[in-house]
Amino acid sequence: MSEDRARILNMLAEGKISAEEAERLLDALDTRGAAGAAAGAAEPAIKGDPAPLMAALPKYLYVKVSAANGDNVDVKIPIALVRSGLKLTSLIPPQAMDQINSSMSEHGMSVDFSNLKPEDIDELVEALREMEINVDSTNGDKVRVYCA
Amino acid sequence: MNVPPMILDVRVAPPDRSPVHVWLPLFLLWPLALALGVLAFVLTILADVVLLLLGQRYHHYTVLVFRAFAAMCETRGMVIRVNDGKTAVDVTVQ
Repeated sequence: MSEDRARILNMLAEGKISAEEAERLLDALDTRGAAGAAAGAAEPAIKGDPAPLMAALPKYLYVKVSAANGDNVDVKIPIALVRSGLKLTSLIPPQAMDQINSSMSEHGMSVDFSNLKPEDIDELVEALREMEINVDSTNGDKVRVYCA
Repeated sequence: MNVPPMILDVRVAPPDRSPVHVWLPLFLLWPLALALGVLAFVLTILADVVLLLLGQRYHHYTVLVFRAFAAMCETRGMVIRVNDGKTAVDVTVQ
């Protein structure tokens, strides 16, 4: 089973898309596969109006922190903002990027944003839609990060 | 077309006082921001041309300004809720 097919079935299982939408996505995958096999074919992968499919995709990244002492922080971030922010990082001047990278490294986050390419960003954001992080610490603090 | 955030909705609910609900009209700032944006556009174009003529590898300040504006527009819909058990603060970008 291809990764795309498994992803669609997962979305169906999680109730993020309806059975009809899943069927259309799977059909679109088949169409894309057939189009890829035929050299020079440039038909769109998804026929018809893609708006319902786009509407079914998660649009927000949620970060929920619940501390044992009663403090709660909920943040709802548009995924489009994440994508724009990542694209912005590719345009930061090299001198500033060096400072950002060294500062992040000092705080234990060794991520070199200068290595991010535009195609990686789209892939990263798409993967982000299916990400779910649940952290339950021993002292009762809870952190949840997910898309919906 | 990218539309910048228009209203910042702030709600503060202190424990011993009535809640405060403020709508900050960000749209009133946009005429001023537009003037500054035009100035920034001219300056960044000049800077990029100079950097390009000097043979510098990085000459993307104009694109950087546009991307920053686009990122700011995407903040619409962002919600931040903080509650320490006594005081609750909700900030919504609309």
